Amino acid sequence: MKNKKQQEYLNQSGNPNSSKSKNQNQNPVQAQNQSKDSKKHQTKLISSDLQFNLDHIKKTLGNSSDIVTRDFQAGKNGQIKLGIVYTDGLTDSISIQDLILDTLMVEIRNSDLDVAVLNPSDCFEMIKSHTLPIGGIEEITDYQKLFNHVLSGDTMLLMDGSPKGIALGSRDWVDRGVQEPSSQTVVRGPKDGFTETLRTNTALIRRRIKDPNLWLETKQIGERTQTDVAIMYLKGVANDKTVSELQSRLNRINIDAILESGYIEELIQDEVYTPFPTVYNTERPDAVAAAILEGRIAILVDGTPFVLIVPALMVHFFQSSEDYYQRADIATLIRVLRYLSFFLALLTPSLYVAVSTFHQEMLPTPLLISLASQREGVPFPAFVEAMIMEVVFEILREAGVRMPRAIGSSISIVGALVIGQAAVEAGFVSATMVIIVSLTAICSFVFPANSMAMAFRMLRFLFMILAATFGLYGIILGLIVMVLHLNSLRSFGLPYLAPNAPFILQDQKDNIIRLPHWSLLKRPRLISKNDTDRGDVSSPKPPR
Amino acid sequence: MKKMLKVFLMLPIICLSGCWSSIELNELAIVTAMGIDKTEDGYLVTVQVLNSSELAGDARSGRTEVVTFRKSGKTIFEALRSLSTDVPRRLYVAHLREVVFGEEMAREGIAKPLDFLSRQKELRSDFYMTVAKGSTAYDTLNVQTALEKIPANKVFDSLENSERRWAPTRTVTLDELVSSIVSKGRQAMLTGIYVYGDPESGSNVTNAQNISPKSGLRLDYLGVFKKDKLVGWLNRNDSKGVSYITDHVKSTPVNIPCEGDQITVNTTSSKTKIKGKMEKGNPKIDINVTSEGSIGEVECTIDLTKPEKIKELNERYAKDIKGKIEGSIKTLQEKYQSDIFGFGDEIHRTNPRAWKRLEGNWEQEFANLDVNVTVKAKIRNLGTISESFQKEIEE
Repeated sequence: MKNKKQQEYLNQSGNPNSSKSKNQNQNPVQAQNQSKDSKKHQTKLISSDLQFNLDHIKKTLGNSSDIVTRDFQAGKNGQIKLGIVYTDGLTDSISIQDLILDTLMVEIRNSDLDVAVLNPSDCFEMIKSHTLPIGGIEEITDYQKLFNHVLSGDTMLLMDGSPKGIALGSRDWVDRGVQEPSSQTVVRGPKDGFTETLRTNTALIRRRIKDPNLWLETKQIGERTQTDVAIMYLKGVANDKTVSELQSRLNRINIDAILESGYIEELIQDEVYTPFPTVYNTERPDAVAAAILEGRIAILVDGTPFVLIVPALMVHFFQSSEDYYQRADIATLIRVLRYLSFFLALLTPSLYVAVSTFHQEMLPTPLLISLASQREGVPFPAFVEAMIMEVVFEILREAGVRMPRAIGSSISIVGALVIGQAAVEAGFVSATMVIIVSLTAICSFVFPANSMAMAFRMLRFLFMILAATFGLYGIILGLIVMVLHLNSLRSFGLPYLAPNAPFILQDQKDNIIRLPHWSLLKRPRLISKNDTDRGDVSSPKPPR
Repeated sequence: MKKMLKVFLMLPIICLSGCWSSIELNELAIVTAMGIDKTEDGYLVTVQVLNSSELAGDARSGRTEVVTFRKSGKTIFEALRSLSTDVPRRLYVAHLREVVFGEEMAREGIAKPLDFLSRQKELRSDFYMTVAKGSTAYDTLNVQTALEKIPANKVFDSLENSERRWAPTRTVTLDELVSSIVSKGRQAMLTGIYVYGDPESGSNVTNAQNISPKSGLRLDYLGVFKKDKLVGWLNRNDSKGVSYITDHVKSTPVNIPCEGDQITVNTTSSKTKIKGKMEKGNPKIDINVTSEGSIGEVECTIDLTKPEKIKELNERYAKDIKGKIEGSIKTLQEKYQSDIFGFGDEIHRTNPRAWKRLEGNWEQEFANLDVNVTVKAKIRNLGTISESFQKEIEE
């Protein structure tokens, strides 16, 4: 009898990922994905035999020692056989003890619930609706969901005689705690950063935008990791097309592991063959909140403090959130400085190579003399010299990132020797080159967004090669090609160089200059097409 | 395939740009000054090359900062190229600061060497042209100068500085020189330079190590050209007059006699307007000078607080300027018959039809030209003290 039932349950299979078939874009890739899906998921439904269920769970998880299964009897006479399953370490043990076990094992006994007359399903309903003092619960019928909940830290309540289980929200795992973000620091501004826990991160954003229109949609991506990925946006402010486009792109992802938001970034970006990032990532909740308020969409991935923001245009990578906390004039000045340093970071070495090997006539004579005197005795051509120094600097930088903290101090000492006075005195490189490499280095640290800095680090070498081959002509060619390429880029359909190309006059208020907040009355036009009014404040005036 | 085609089509853009000449800085011999002298069948070209490791950095060995090489050839270009037997690096002339013509060369005509200078694509034409007064160009490039390590820079800066603050000298670039030689209504002029002191010790590295250098380079006044030949030299007052007429006076001291002593007025601004016109078939030139100055030095007992005294001074101040201007016109009309003021160009501008008639015989016309000079001069301030204390000393 029992076996027959089991067989029935075992043979039943359904496609849990029915959400995927909602995608109407039937391109070949997708069709392939679907066929893969149907092969993979031979999911089973939960049987109504408690013991069988518990055994099956244990067996499937390979008797892993952190999976706790506990069966007990509840009710006055202990007629109700219950079992709970949870993963030790991912759960809040206090809530399991006090709220679940204590309730079901001790407190039900004292109540005068007459459970004897109930059939199992009514009993199940009763337990579900009367005896679980816990917030989030969900009825589960198949094993795939069950495992998903258990391995996410929920507690599974199973009952003998009922083919359903209840997932009880008891997730609580060790969190790093909200600390200052290490990647984007500010002098003035909030110093909290995202953590590796999705729930903490969503809370940090919620705290900043208490608007019912702030919507959060969560889905799980990754066959094996089942990573929670959430998108957050302001309904009505964000462009609906962008939202649906993002959802469809996320739905199309079929990969077995998502370990960091970088995975998502690579899978959803518009243009693959480009050094320039078209998805913004940040550790700062305030930056994400500001982006959401502009009408952009945040993508939060569980397990990483880096939150993605789409669409990301080029200007966003040159804006720091501090620009909006400082006074407008100071912020403008700093932005101008930033743009200057971005050009310097890109072109300084290549300009040096070009000017000192092709266009000596462009230099003022005194400068030429001092450069020439330094080049005396340097054994390499200027290009090789620049290449060596830049490569050494990049190695140094990489070493600085990878080094264990304990020996971190030695890198600066060694670095100063390799690209410093010692190198000059050895007659290895000229002093100018050291200055130029240092200047480039400083300028590339100015970038508020690391992903953009990386792009420029890469392009710098390209420009150096161009400069060594064709001089300034090569640099100009390279710049032209770069600008053409930038113009061809799109981030979720938006032109990457907006609001400069296409030129949008209204958005110039917050591009290279930043006007005071009382004049930034409109959201960026292309990003949010629906509701562009930010408010109607006029500049504060003292009473007469 | 299409991509390959695109790349293939782009190749000529890159390859046909003509920007292929890369050369490292330490393969260049930076020429800062070039001297051109006449020989019997060609030129003697002198180049002053920087010894850059002596000029900056910390690897100095006590050698001279510049090295002078010379070589003769049938043409300048040939001479420069044959210098490679002597100079180990490529002569790089983009950073020329001065070009010196020997006086002999200048008197014989400088048009041919100018062709070479105009033809080189490397040359930037921001250097100044000079004439070595009474010597060869080689001699002037063979002197160590004090304060400025590079003699060519010294000449360059002196020219600019003295034009700005002294006025009887003139910075002339290649373009100006060529256009004034070519133009019918204007003649060329160049500033002279000469070596003072003992030329023998001048080339020694120790020359500049004395507190008062044994020899050095000094600027002289203007040399007057006719077409491309040097015809003579002006004195100081005439040179200053020329500067006034051509509106090149930025600041200059003017001495005004006063009770047997001097008052020196420092010109703070001066504006000259030249108007050419035809009267009864004869060209006429009106020169209007408006000059303002402040008193720089008073050696007499004049009471400067009295407005009428200032008025009197103004008149004398104007008279001095007018005297210089008229003197220089006279010198050039009578002695040289060379229109370095560009009066001809002025006539050409105002009355092209008449100019057509005049240009063939402009030298003669210039010599008889009627020039009318009006000078307005004003003393604007007295400096930090108003009355001179000479009075109190004498009392």
